[in-house]
Amino acid sequence: MIAARPVGVSFGSRQVLADVSFDVPSGQFLCIIGPSGCGKTTLLRVLAGLIAPTSGEVTADGKAVRGPARSRAIVFQDYTKALLPWRTVAGNVALGLEACRVAEPQKSRRIEELLSKMGLGHCAGQYPAQLSGGMQQRVQIARALGQDPQLLLMDEPFGALDAITRQGLQDEVARIAAEQKTTVVFITHDLEEAIYLGDQVIVLAAAPGTGAGRIAERITVEIPRPRSQLETREDPRFLAYRHRLFGLLKH
Amino acid sequence: MRRVLPAVLFAAALIGLWQLAAELKLINPIFFPSPGRTFGELYMQVTSGRLWQPLGATALRMLYGWLLACGLGIALGAAIGSSRTAREYLEPLLDFLRPLPASAIIPVAILFLGLSPAMSTAVIAFGSLWPVLLAAVHGLKNTEPQLVELCETLEMRRSQVLAKVALPGALPDILSGVRVSLAIALILAVVTEMQASLPGLGQNILLAQRSFRSPELYAGIVVLGIMGFLVNNGLLLAERRLLRWRSAAV
Ligand SMILES: Nc1ncnc2c1ncn2[C@@H]1O[C@H](COP(=O)(O)OP(=O)(O)OP(=O)(O)O)[C@@H](O)[C@H]1O
Ligand SMILES: [Mg+2]
Repeated sequence: MIAARPVGVSFGSRQVLADVSFDVPSGQFLCIIGPSGCGKTTLLRVLAGLIAPTSGEVTADGKAVRGPARSRAIVFQDYTKALLPWRTVAGNVALGLEACRVAEPQKSRRIEELLSKMGLGHCAGQYPAQLSGGMQQRVQIARALGQDPQLLLMDEPFGALDAITRQGLQDEVARIAAEQKTTVVFITHDLEEAIYLGDQVIVLAAAPGTGAGRIAERITVEIPRPRSQLETREDPRFLAYRHRLFGLLKH
Repeated sequence: MRRVLPAVLFAAALIGLWQLAAELKLINPIFFPSPGRTFGELYMQVTSGRLWQPLGATALRMLYGWLLACGLGIALGAAIGSSRTAREYLEPLLDFLRPLPASAIIPVAILFLGLSPAMSTAVIAFGSLWPVLLAAVHGLKNTEPQLVELCETLEMRRSQVLAKVALPGALPDILSGVRVSLAIALILAVVTEMQASLPGLGQNILLAQRSFRSPELYAGIVVLGIMGFLVNNGLLLAERRLLRWRSAAV
């Protein structure tokens, strides 16, 4: 379980996050949504241990997070800067395994397995620059899964992709997270994506005055899984959630 | 093939002009031999085998100094580029040493090392160090921060980060620095040979000049030109192979 116990972050005199608390039980999918600049990426970096909160703390299974760890993998927002351009697809996935000191016969087998899971089997030997954005994002996800994370942190991973690619990847991530019982914290700009993927959705918003991001609303999404792009999105509950959160995201 | 044709034509035209100027005796032939005599001399040196020893000596001199500069430059550059503290201490000093012309330190080097091959290697290494060093510092300083964070979440050790992410990322910069260094190394190999009477193409050129054997003088210059050209293109080829991934798109 991941828990944020009132987390606050300031950069100098600028407060970016204030009083953010939540629990994510193991295996749950939490979506965080909010307008640009409200501190979503900052929150994700705190959860990863890349920056220490100014106040409060983050715990993973009861232990305080003090720095980055292999058990918490990140999929970055900007995929053009998240892959090693001089390594092939297989080589990029291998990086995570090398860091985990997976030795040879297993390593190749794991790479193959991860690539086929993400539908990348046919482009193992290609370089990132030869791939579409959606494919590059798949490579990032495959690499992250390779480090066998307990927590998968995803920062607007599909923000730059077209709608069809995006929906395909949403279903893949939902399936894999359910299969491996990975806890996921998923940041997005897209309300429907948040409701479709999440067990829990948290809306961050800038507080009037200080501008610090804080939790404006949280809902539990009670739509059973597996969900489907067509039916779930027409489900009255889906539409009700959407109605409830929509007003909060208007500027 | 079609792309080199204009360059070849232009070079041929220049040689033609040179021949014309020599035939019209625009300049005293003692200073200015015709291309025929120059290339004749070169041909003789090749067939008699007299060319290889000085050519090899100069090439080795250049290579030793250059390899030393590359090793030192990349190691120092990695240390400086990957540590902010090291940068704060060393960068101003580097900026002071960098514009120092390498030929200015030849007297110092002679003082310490005599008129020896070691002196020549030291001067070449010093002079050709800067382009590699600065390129390595620059390349490593600009390591993509997001990749550094990725390494942190993978709990990679510093040496692993350097070997797997920072150095490969800086490779394009380092390789162009390495190429500039090689050109400087060739220049300094010739200069130190002339200054310290070390055997090689540089010394031969100087001796030919002193005894007015101008075809030999010009042949030496032509050989140096060809050598610089080949070496640079060899490195360009290696660069293209090492950076295949960059041309992989399209
Ligand atoms: N290292 C930093 N130093 C100072 N200010 C920072 C730093 N990182 C982020 N900020 C500021 O904190 C605020 C929140 O940034 P953050 O990147 O978390 O927003 P975001 O919600 O992820 O936005 P987006 O949706 O555009 O990605 C911004 O105003 C940003 O300028
Ligand atoms: Mg962001």
